[in-house]
Amino acid sequence: MKMTAFKGVMAVAGIQLITATMALATDITVWCWAPEFNGAAMNEAIARYTAANPDTKITVVDFAKGDLEQKLQTQLASGTTEGLPDIVLIEDYGAQKYLLSFPGAFEPLTDKIDYSQFAKYKVDLATVDGQTYSLPFDSGVTGLFYRSDLLEQAGYKADDLKDITWEQLSAIGDKVKEATGKPLLSIDINDAGAMRIMLQSAGSWYFNADGTPNIKDNPVFKAALTTWVGMLKNQNLYKSVSGWGEYTGAFNNGDVAGVFTGVWMTGGIKGNNMAGKWAVAPIPKLDGVEGAGHASNLGGSSWYVLSSAPSKDAAIDFLQKVWASDVDFYQKILVGQGAFGAYLPAREGEAYSASDDYFGGQSVWKDFSDWQAAIPGVNYGIFTNEADAAVAAQLPGLVAGGDIDAAIEAIDAQIAQQIQ
Amino acid sequence: MNRLISLLAQAGLWLAAFISVFPFLWMITGATNTANDITGGRFLPGTNLLPNIAKFFELVDAGQVFFNSFFVAITGTALTLIVSSLAGYGFEIFASKTRDRVFAGLLLLLSVPFAAMMIPLFVMFSSAGLINSYIAMIAPGIASIFMIFYFRQNTKSFPHELRDAAKLDGLKEWQIFWFIYIPVMRSTYAAAMIILFMTNWNAYLWPLIVLQTNDMKTITLTVASLATAYTPDYGLIMIANVLATLPTILVFFLLQRRFVEGMLGGVK
Amino acid sequence: MHTGLTRRENLTGWAFTAPALVLLGLFMIYPILWSLYMSFMTGKGMNFKFGGFANIYRLTQDPIFLHALGNTLTFLAIQVPIMIILALVFAVALNNPRLRGRAVLRTAIFLPCVTSLVVYSVLFKSMFADDGVVNDALLFLHIISEPIPWMNDPFWAKVLIILAITWRWTGYNMVFYLAALQNIDPSIYEQARIDGVPARARFFKITIPMLRHVILFTTVLSTIGTLQLFDEVNTITASQGQGGRPADATLTLSLYIYNLTFRFMPSFGYAATISWVIVILVGLLSWAQFRLAREK
Repeated sequence: MKMTAFKGVMAVAGIQLITATMALATDITVWCWAPEFNGAAMNEAIARYTAANPDTKITVVDFAKGDLEQKLQTQLASGTTEGLPDIVLIEDYGAQKYLLSFPGAFEPLTDKIDYSQFAKYKVDLATVDGQTYSLPFDSGVTGLFYRSDLLEQAGYKADDLKDITWEQLSAIGDKVKEATGKPLLSIDINDAGAMRIMLQSAGSWYFNADGTPNIKDNPVFKAALTTWVGMLKNQNLYKSVSGWGEYTGAFNNGDVAGVFTGVWMTGGIKGNNMAGKWAVAPIPKLDGVEGAGHASNLGGSSWYVLSSAPSKDAAIDFLQKVWASDVDFYQKILVGQGAFGAYLPAREGEAYSASDDYFGGQSVWKDFSDWQAAIPGVNYGIFTNEADAAVAAQLPGLVAGGDIDAAIEAIDAQIAQQIQ
Repeated sequence: MNRLISLLAQAGLWLAAFISVFPFLWMITGATNTANDITGGRFLPGTNLLPNIAKFFELVDAGQVFFNSFFVAITGTALTLIVSSLAGYGFEIFASKTRDRVFAGLLLLLSVPFAAMMIPLFVMFSSAGLINSYIAMIAPGIASIFMIFYFRQNTKSFPHELRDAAKLDGLKEWQIFWFIYIPVMRSTYAAAMIILFMTNWNAYLWPLIVLQTNDMKTITLTVASLATAYTPDYGLIMIANVLATLPTILVFFLLQRRFVEGMLGGVK
Repeated sequence: MHTGLTRRENLTGWAFTAPALVLLGLFMIYPILWSLYMSFMTGKGMNFKFGGFANIYRLTQDPIFLHALGNTLTFLAIQVPIMIILALVFAVALNNPRLRGRAVLRTAIFLPCVTSLVVYSVLFKSMFADDGVVNDALLFLHIISEPIPWMNDPFWAKVLIILAITWRWTGYNMVFYLAALQNIDPSIYEQARIDGVPARARFFKITIPMLRHVILFTTVLSTIGTLQLFDEVNTITASQGQGGRPADATLTLSLYIYNLTFRFMPSFGYAATISWVIVILVGLLSWAQFRLAREK
């Protein structure tokens, strides 16, 4: 980058004083959430970069995810750029919302980053009018994590969980409950994540590519909603929880036998002293839906550079040097945090092919890589939060026996009202 | 019959007291347990207190965080006490038609939801270059409408003879306020102090918006950040809760003797 | 009240109130004018344009707004009376000088309001989990036979919010009543007792009228607080960072404003319009409450 090249010249010329003042100019601030995950991965990247660039000081500030979004939105809306970070983490579902509602706020990186090296669906979701804005970070490729010991008690082997439908999963849940007394899953009825997983697994979403709602006449949406409500009605299948802490607590302390979620949960699952008792299968698929597969995505996020950032060039340089080229770095955060990067060359690294004893010797990362390659790309659009709220509003009524078509009408109406 | 009612009333009160205190007990027991014990509903002291404390101090720059909280809470409380009691005194002692109208208008201001004001407030502070400063955290709360009301009401019980006598002695208005009003009304101030310390210490939404760096974070913000990890550690969160609540409880116990006394006359 | 201030005294009055008024002008009037201006704008984020009364029309067409309004009024109609009555009853009971452990009881009942929102929402979420201590206790006492889905059932979620607010603020209101009660001359009660007025009548005929002003004061404040209800429904009944769950059963007007400003595609103008609905409601209700108290 320009800045570093310039600094190099200065250093050669031996003008220490000027270099020292330059150092003041390269303070980089990063905002993210989940210090033990995103923050730790970022800190690893910083350590690598500052080893080679001791003049650059990069600081990570972490907030709760909702808080970070609120801060970012307030600040961007206020039109003042003072106090904004140089780099910010944004969840993929929200990318288009920020890029479209605050044009000019984020720096296009199209010419700076070789996007052919990143998972395509991650690149697409951060692209507006041919410009890509993100440094794609972690993937949310989904898997079905399960307790192999408990499933075995119920008579299931790893192969029995491959290539199944959601209905079959529900039936397995009955058996597991019968054999072990434990439900297979923990479910928060307010969480529409399962709907998102199912929709994307069939290449569909709440919205069409042009941003119009894709609810009422979308067979995938109806199939997903019907399937999900069917599962929610099966009381044997799950332990009902509320909120994230209870949800993760249920499988972390052994109350339930599994969870289907994004790959970023791996680190949490591995923190439980249950080595050898876990395994991962591909998620089930939607029955009778054309194009439905076993690969999908949940969550995942990417780094964005603010156009207004005083140390913009240094920030981009940092992303290029570590996040877009350091294969070894990705091995480190995969092992350390279970952060599954979207940087494709990293897949050739050692850690990605290693087998993991925690998962009974399964090569989990390789499996996730294979599934990731099969994730259908969809345009998340700008109203995913609104659509989630509309779906979640109907779920309790549906579980109590409400009519699917009427609920779809209501969801469609609510979304149409909200997106004007 | 009367005895029975009185017994029932007593039982009811003790039950209410138990319910009021229970979550505190739950928090304290939780701080000694592991995350899995807490989500499992364990309500017995555990053995994980020290690891929880160690983890807290490892993850959180406790010195800085508590300094920020104390600094903001103490400064905010002191300034609010001065500005609001001055205004309450002014509105009551020098009541005039115009000022009474202004006073009534304040009540309506109280009804505007804060969420609607955050963005313009933020714009103001950022154009003044005050983002991420203690001033930005404290300033919007200094003129507290509730406290102005409270002090005006209390001033009604301030004996006018004292004021008249002081005037005869040749004291200026500000001297009367400083040397007579404040000492006489010290219980009123003590009660207000409890409430203000609590409010400032617990402030969340606004500090969240104006703070940008870790070294400015308060303990309240830190607890929120800890509580939203991908896999939240409840043992850690509970010890953070205990540490975040302790100062407000201490302030309350230190000042509580004056508290009810101070509320007295506050709302005649 | 003093009348006939001298010119000098009048100026002194302004001097005493000036710091507060200047700060309020800065930190409240300006933002309020901004939100008034914004309420005539429509659009996404900072791409907004003048929309006239479009936002007001949108209000009438928006089922979520009506839903949030309904929820907010439900909370108001149920929670405020429960809390005020409980606080009054506790205050009267604690005012009895023969009661043992008064100081302990008073402190305990007041204590909840010192907790921060963040702390108390974490505590309530964990206590009211499906297999949390509250359900465990109720099951143990055979009060219920099935765990109550506190946070996943639209009805119970509302109950939980009401319980939570009542837990946190009853003691706070009680202290106001306690203070006011101690200002009542005990000889009035003595006389009434001698005249054979029963306890219940003493409560309604002496206590309530004597506390009229403080009851009005706390009711108006609680009304404002409940109409702006946001904290609890944004944290306790939140899931995946989105409050008001389940099925928007605890969605309030303030939370909806928050969502429209910070969570959804930002709709600042529409959010500002809804905040004016709250202002108008507060104005109307306070006026009605003042009227009611005066007639008494």
